[in-house]
Amino acid sequence: MSATSSVSRPVGPILQSGDVAEAVADAAKVDNPDSNVEVRDHGAYVRVEVDGGECVLRRATIEEELGRPFKMSELEIIMSSFTGRIDTGNDEIRFYR
Amino acid sequence: MALMERSEWYDVARDTEWTPRYVTWEELFPPELSGGEGLPDDVWRTYDEPYKISYREYVDVQRQKDAGAYSVQAALERADIYNNADPAWISILKEHYGAVALVEYGAALQEARFARWCKAPGLRNMAVFGMLDEMRHGQIQLYFPHEYVKKDRQFEWSHASMFSNNWVSLGARHFFDDMLMTRDMVSTSFCANFSFETGFTNLQFIGLSGDAANSGDYTFSKLIQSIQTDEARHAQLGTPLLQMMIENGQRDKAQKEIDISFWRSYRLFTILSGIPMDYYVPLEARHTSFKEFMEEWIVTQFMRELEDLGLSKPWYWDIFMRDISEHHHGQQLGTYSWRPTLWWNPAAGVSPEERDWLEEKYPGWNDTFGKVWDVMIDNFVNGRTEKTVPGTLPMICNLSQLPIVGTPSQTLRDTSVVYKGRRYHFASEVDKWIFEDNPERYRYQKNLVDRFLGGDIEPADLGGVLEYMGLGSIGPSGDDAHGYSWVESYRKQLADAG
Ligand SMILES: [Fe+2]
Ligand SMILES: [Fe+2]
Repeated sequence: MSATSSVSRPVGPILQSGDVAEAVADAAKVDNPDSNVEVRDHGAYVRVEVDGGECVLRRATIEEELGRPFKMSELEIIMSSFTGRIDTGNDEIRFYR
Repeated sequence: MALMERSEWYDVARDTEWTPRYVTWEELFPPELSGGEGLPDDVWRTYDEPYKISYREYVDVQRQKDAGAYSVQAALERADIYNNADPAWISILKEHYGAVALVEYGAALQEARFARWCKAPGLRNMAVFGMLDEMRHGQIQLYFPHEYVKKDRQFEWSHASMFSNNWVSLGARHFFDDMLMTRDMVSTSFCANFSFETGFTNLQFIGLSGDAANSGDYTFSKLIQSIQTDEARHAQLGTPLLQMMIENGQRDKAQKEIDISFWRSYRLFTILSGIPMDYYVPLEARHTSFKEFMEEWIVTQFMRELEDLGLSKPWYWDIFMRDISEHHHGQQLGTYSWRPTLWWNPAAGVSPEERDWLEEKYPGWNDTFGKVWDVMIDNFVNGRTEKTVPGTLPMICNLSQLPIVGTPSQTLRDTSVVYKGRRYHFASEVDKWIFEDNPERYRYQKNLVDRFLGGDIEPADLGGVLEYMGLGSIGPSGDDAHGYSWVESYRKQLADAG
């Protein structure tokens, strides 16, 4: 497993593995259609890395992927770390450089 | 009734700012506690915390985090990790809880000081959540090991270590007192929120979580990642402060504080994370080396955050990059040799298969550290176990309070300085630099050897030292995690060769 990423200027959440992490990783692909999204599985945790220095996650997209209601603040329950700066909203969360 | 968007009311709700009438601004926020000297007064109101959360959200989310961690613990109690896991894994739990649990309450005090002394209202509000976070970390990391105390008295150290004079505790207390407890609010934030939490805690609380899951300890895996979700939030407190410093011409001051706290954090984590990750984690569960975790979390991730802010790599970057392949191996040799001084049972981690792993991850290991282990193994195989435990104390660094170690025949040398008539010894050039930057801050701390030579420890022999360190009273002394069963394969090699 290489420690360095193949995407440039990656940003995004690092999540405890599970259903929500999978849904968020899928949502990252939907919400950042023009960027390369890499999901790296480290067993207990998953790195979601979006290149180009910006990663947007929308609550509605996560709900769709998850098939149930989701509050944006619930992301924190599984978000053990993240790369980049963070901007936290009710309907959208953004990681950026 | 639909709730308002948080962003519509957040600024008003969290802005507990007022104009003091009975005291001056300087009396309300004395510089020695509040820091930020030289920054314009009106800059504090502009502080905008990047990671926002309301109290309602906080309580809701924290309740769910606790419910998750405690329910995994309850569900897996019958899996009886204590009896079913590799004994070296249990040693990791003992080391972790003893080194970490009580320190979390110290971190709660640190966050409480932010909530009182910070001049930025936005930060004060977030620091209250940070304080509650750290209380949770203290409570949960005392609760989880408690079930093991009745099975094994070494778990007593989870609660007792920081009240003892064990050498690991002396080193950890010195670190946390320096980084978290005795600097002004702004400097503390760089040391604690930035270097320590944005950087190094990820290693232990996420990196080790992977090793835990691989080792079948899902309870611990879940627990430490749950803790780190709090850290990820309150670690953000420091970033806008760093930006404020940089924008107001204080970049060099901020850089120096990062350089000091980065090195101090790193060296502490060589013992807390480095040794367990490369020597204790059962080989079949050990996929990622300490060095690789360091590359992932620190060399890549943390440095990117640092450089994004306009700061630079620490001046000792070359020393550091070399050190991550070496230093913790020296600490493993030291801690294993002085195993009676530990509150946990260390694994040697040098069976033939494990040495292959070490050589693969750290090319050259066999020719350096391996050579010292060869001597120790020879003593074990030939029944000279008493020769594998030194009868004297190691040299201790007057800055880190940790043993001075190096790579055999390469980097083991005395780095010292004479200050006001006394010679001080250091574990590296960087430790010496930190000391010399502010000798009055550090010169009075007596390390373990100073205490021994100064007559604080009676009787002045190894037995007296162990008693002084709480070994035998708080819990039994450390001994080989596997009862030396790993020596068998070498004994067999010797017999086959003979
Ligand atoms: Fe904590
Ligand atoms: Fe913390």
